[in-house]
Amino acid sequence: MTMNDKPVRIQSADFSIEEEINILKNSSLKTGAVVTFLGVARDFSEGKEIKSIAFEQYGKMALKAMERLREDALKRFDVIDIRMVHRVTAISPGGQIILIAVSSEHRDEAFKACRWCIDTLKKTVPLWKKEITPEGESWVTPHP
Amino acid sequence: MVRVLFFGILAAKTGCRETALDMEKPALKVEDFLDKVRKRFPGLPHAPYMVAVNEEKAEPGAMVRDGDEVAIMPPFSGGLI
Repeated sequence: MTMNDKPVRIQSADFSIEEEINILKNSSLKTGAVVTFLGVARDFSEGKEIKSIAFEQYGKMALKAMERLREDALKRFDVIDIRMVHRVTAISPGGQIILIAVSSEHRDEAFKACRWCIDTLKKTVPLWKKEITPEGESWVTPHP
Repeated sequence: MVRVLFFGILAAKTGCRETALDMEKPALKVEDFLDKVRKRFPGLPHAPYMVAVNEEKAEPGAMVRDGDEVAIMPPFSGGLI
């Protein structure tokens, strides 16, 4: 079993969207839809130029919270499977931060589950974002 | 002793990422434990933040016991957008 077999991961390394989608497609012939959310680092935030962003996590609690989120979503929505990968290294503009991929028989539930997962992740998973600008570093205060 | 962890902007405000506090009692309510932490770190703002005891979110009235790990965390900002 390689690390990529785990459906929920927090890692420094970049991830392959295609690989994650293929795992979902190949795991069940009932799959009729795969919906993905990809979070990408921007080069501008609230008027500031961003050189890179970095993440801090509360180790095991962050992973446990993401695993719980997946379990909750699998119960709440009529979907087949869910995969989530969040990176916690310094990420330059254009870099991939987070992927949520949801497979289902029909598209509607996958869209709903994917949206719910990213919205809930932001409130429940102990991860913090820091923006590195030419003027220095600052921690990001989340918007409601 | 209780291991205390600060994250994100709270680590910046307290100038500390990790410390150990003597309980003096076998157990304290989270709120009382936080008063103790604030006395040691006056730079710690009152809110908003979340507390976890042994990696589980602490609800009001939860207890902190000798040997526990307490994390004091600012609002989360993972996922981006």
